[in-house]
Amino acid sequence: MLTRGTLIYIGQRLVLIVFTVIAVSSIVFLGIHRLPGDALFNEHLHGTQYELLLHHYGLDKPLWDQYTSFLSGLFLHGNLGESLVNRGVPITPLVLRELTVSAEVGLFALVFTIGLGMLLGVVAAIRQNTWVDYLLSTTSVIGYSMPSFVIATFLILVFAVWLDNLTQGTFYFKIGWTGQFGTIGEIWLPAFALGFPYASIVARLTRASMLEVIRQDYIRTARAKGLRETVIMVRHALRNALIPVITILGPLVIGIITGGVIIENIFGIPGLGKEFATSILNRDYNIVIGVFTMFAAMVGIANLAVDLAYVVIDPRIRY
Amino acid sequence: MTPTSLRILKALAVGGVSSIVLVACGGGTGTTSTSLASNQTLTFPILADFGTLDPAVADAETDQEIQQNMFDGLVRFDSNLNIIPDLATAVPTASADGLSYTFTLRKDATFSNGDKFTSKDVLYSWNRGAAMQGAYATNLAAIAGYDVVSNNKASGAALEALLEKKDPSVTLTGLTAPDDYTVNVKLATPAGWLLTAIALAGSTGWIVDQNAVKQDFDNWWANPATAIGTGPFKMTARVPKQSVDFAAVPNWWGSPKPTLTKVHLDVSVNDASTAITKYEQGGYDVVGYGGYSNLPVADILRIKASSSESSQLVLHPKVRSYWVSFNMVHDAKRTAGGPFLLSDGQSAHDLRLAFALAVDKAKLVTVVCQSIVCTPATGGLIPPTLVGYMGDNQDPLAKFDAAKAKSLLTSADPTGSKTKGLVYTYDPENALNKPTAEFLQSQWHDNLGVDVSIQPVSHSQFIKGRLKGQYTLSRDGWQADYNHPQDWYDNLWGNVVGCPDSGCTTGYDTAAYDKLLAKADAEPMPAALADYKTLNQQLIDDVVYIPLYYSVGSFLIKSYVKGAGTNSFFDNYWNTIQILSH
Amino acid sequence: MATTAAAVITRPTTPEQASLWSDAWRRLRRNRLALASAIYLALLVVVAIVAIFHTPYSYREVGVALPYSGPSSTNWFGADILGRDVLSRLMVGAQISLIVGVGTQVLVVAVGVPIGLIAGYYKGWIDSVVSFIINVFYGIPDLLVAMILLLLLGPSLNNIIIAIVATRWMDMTRLVRGQTLALREREFIEAARASGAKPLKILFGHILPNSLGPIIVQATFGVPAAILFEAFLSFLGIGVQPPTPSWGSMAADGLAAIRIAPHMVIVPSIALSLTLMAFNFLGDGLRDALDPRQKR
Repeated sequence: MLTRGTLIYIGQRLVLIVFTVIAVSSIVFLGIHRLPGDALFNEHLHGTQYELLLHHYGLDKPLWDQYTSFLSGLFLHGNLGESLVNRGVPITPLVLRELTVSAEVGLFALVFTIGLGMLLGVVAAIRQNTWVDYLLSTTSVIGYSMPSFVIATFLILVFAVWLDNLTQGTFYFKIGWTGQFGTIGEIWLPAFALGFPYASIVARLTRASMLEVIRQDYIRTARAKGLRETVIMVRHALRNALIPVITILGPLVIGIITGGVIIENIFGIPGLGKEFATSILNRDYNIVIGVFTMFAAMVGIANLAVDLAYVVIDPRIRY
Repeated sequence: MTPTSLRILKALAVGGVSSIVLVACGGGTGTTSTSLASNQTLTFPILADFGTLDPAVADAETDQEIQQNMFDGLVRFDSNLNIIPDLATAVPTASADGLSYTFTLRKDATFSNGDKFTSKDVLYSWNRGAAMQGAYATNLAAIAGYDVVSNNKASGAALEALLEKKDPSVTLTGLTAPDDYTVNVKLATPAGWLLTAIALAGSTGWIVDQNAVKQDFDNWWANPATAIGTGPFKMTARVPKQSVDFAAVPNWWGSPKPTLTKVHLDVSVNDASTAITKYEQGGYDVVGYGGYSNLPVADILRIKASSSESSQLVLHPKVRSYWVSFNMVHDAKRTAGGPFLLSDGQSAHDLRLAFALAVDKAKLVTVVCQSIVCTPATGGLIPPTLVGYMGDNQDPLAKFDAAKAKSLLTSADPTGSKTKGLVYTYDPENALNKPTAEFLQSQWHDNLGVDVSIQPVSHSQFIKGRLKGQYTLSRDGWQADYNHPQDWYDNLWGNVVGCPDSGCTTGYDTAAYDKLLAKADAEPMPAALADYKTLNQQLIDDVVYIPLYYSVGSFLIKSYVKGAGTNSFFDNYWNTIQILSH
Repeated sequence: MATTAAAVITRPTTPEQASLWSDAWRRLRRNRLALASAIYLALLVVVAIVAIFHTPYSYREVGVALPYSGPSSTNWFGADILGRDVLSRLMVGAQISLIVGVGTQVLVVAVGVPIGLIAGYYKGWIDSVVSFIINVFYGIPDLLVAMILLLLLGPSLNNIIIAIVATRWMDMTRLVRGQTLALREREFIEAARASGAKPLKILFGHILPNSLGPIIVQATFGVPAAILFEAFLSFLGIGVQPPTPSWGSMAADGLAAIRIAPHMVIVPSIALSLTLMAFNFLGDGLRDALDPRQKR
């Protein structure tokens, strides 16, 4: 599968990712330095304190100097600088840790999206025009027509509050985040909230392509050979039905990253999305730039991974 | 994220507080017993991670309420706001000329790393604080030599080197230690307020350990290994922006000995409704500390109506006032301009009065606060329970008179050109600020026919813009640092250091005000009180502010948590809290 | 559909413009869901226009009912956190949602189409540059781009529309570029070029009319996306600013009160949901009607 062509393709894409990351971080760096108000100032600063702080962060240098030292720090040392609001907090380890948290929730969400979406899609295709099918249509309509913050709030209400009250506290979903990786009880709900809107899209796609595949000749042939229905579905139909799902993986991954900004805030998860929302409001320039850089790299790598997934799923594709 | 300003720049002697109502905390129905739980861990959320825990530069109320458990001063406030000895054996009295104090230090106090506490720690902490020029450096402003040290330009390791060799540029000449357990303080001018200033929790003057600080001069407090103080609790773990853990210091020297063994602060949740849900799930023992003392009104309404939970709700008036500020000066530094300028004379005065009278404050309190989380500010700037409160309904600006407001507006601005395009600016971090802004917008629209747009800006940007005079109309407020009218009239409109000018938020400054203020500040308390009230009257006559409301803090405390809660000024010390078995 | 699709592909496009559109209209009328959606949206436009002249209460007057109070005979959809009438705010919110949704798509077309036409027609370095810029924009999650822009520009209705356009123009550009790349090789374009037509004439006289179907479909799907996007911005506090209500900001404001006054979230959410559904169904219908080659 890993032909020479594929390796060259991967190499080219990685170079493109690096350029995109530079472009994105540069735009943000230059853009955000125009923002009014900065995190360093407060009503208590007097005398030379403000100048000393500006100097500490290198903000008293010309913009061009700041920019080159930012770039060299980033690419030579992987150093994104220090938080302006929380003194003494280095940003690189902070965003890396937050990245693992976001990635963890995101992966669970992805599993939800694809697993649940395809399962429902297949069931709906096989049981076309039954209540399963209609239920699916209804939930998918909710999925793409309700803002995710409303869905998330209702999920909290039902699974974290009412379930808790109903079972007298014996069974419910926890909100918040414990330790670096969270606990298993804490991940399900946000992952579901994050993945649900997209699961319905996956379900619709799967259903449509399944319906088409089922009518193909080779499925009929397989049936005629006397293969069991489940074998036919899994081995023949599902594999082909997967291809359209793969095509939306790219936007899906970006959607999950973006959705994190909302979901992590509602559920109190210390990930990149929440970091972005708080640091942009606090005017913590350095973190905003760092988070943006992370996002750009992540999206680039995720897209590359998706393209490579095509190769695995669909043997006809070669790069 | 502090909702209001908290600053001390120059203080006078503080009278005893008699009228503070202490809250009975937690307590209530349920399975409360008197035996202690085996797990003595207190868990609660804080709204935002620390800005800094270094007493030399700390400035946020939320940070200082953590610091008060890690560090000590020579003296401190008890829960009834009396000044009591802390690392000193007694509260010293000033010499006859008011220029010298002698502190005798405890011999049994140690830092959490085992270092013994001695007079050299006081000298180091105070010299360092004065040299670093943090927010509360002026706590030490009266000490001889402060004018020299405050001009220090060195920072970081360079400053540490100067401090280590006791360089004259960073040494307060008025501060000497004849032996390990005595500190003599000589003042340049009499300052009856010195003890109040150094008693303020977690502010400059609280004691740090040079052995720990010198390992990382700026960020020693961020690392559990070097975050060393003499307090009953020490930091044991910190994951920035996620969680912080504290543990009781074994065999701590002071009293009462802490019952809690661990305190876990959760930083990852920063939405109050989410925090409350987690509290209700049993994830937290308390919600209301660390910037959460303004819980959403909707949740308070719901909890009040709940039979099982209402007993856990603690409402306590905080010494905070909220009002609207006008921009009253337009010059090269203050760029906003606007129609409310002092220099525009009577018509601007009438316009300000129109805007003040057009707001129905009683309705504001019932609609925005549901009459729970705030009370109408009808007695002047200083809230009830504090010295200087003018008395209920004594503030004419708090009245609502739509007809008079409208007629004032028509005469002052007949064409409507002056009030076109006005903007009211606020910071949305405090949950009440946004509904208040929308309420004001609606009142001015309905009662004056003036359309004011509202502009939310982040807290840091808001403070900066307001002090620079960039907003014509803005949210304003103050939380008392201590119980003395000087804290209000001097810090808000007096000639003080800190801002480019006096009266930074409004720009308001008159010779009559400054003269009377100087007189009042110099007087002993009962005589000064009348003058301070006259000062408020001057502000009223000039329509400097639109009074809105006095704030009520809200806390959720599980019934098994004993001793948690707050007084009007600050949260209870952790070493007074116990977890009962439940 | 399969049989008609084959027929369409072999058919030359230009001479039969008129019948293409009338065919599309015929197909659209047969799609009941799309038709119902169109009727709903027409009603919504009527509501939005009525709201200019009359609402039950002023949408901005506080305390017309008890704050947080639920639906009643005087306030059909209850009151919000400041005691304002939710129905009146919903009606005004319809204006805002429509302005945001339709306004962004008009701009997206105005920005995206010319760039796509030029990139697809001239190919070469212009196309490379455009493609790289598109890739950079796709490389950043859209919400983040919009947040930065709104903080730079300030959150006014115009700026919100600009911010959404900045995150959505690439879709249109990519579509039009693809259409142009395919169309420029077709015989009738070759013929036009051979007869000496100017590039501008070819782009806007021949290629654009032939891409109009997909553009309309894409723009229709873009409307609900933009409305939803504004809701996200409102949740983060940088959407349409008070006192102007948008459905997104109404729902976001209600979240904290969901346990005592769920109507504050449910009412605007349902309005939002119905409208998004209607645009999506209409988009589906238009796609089937205008572009029968493209399968679902």
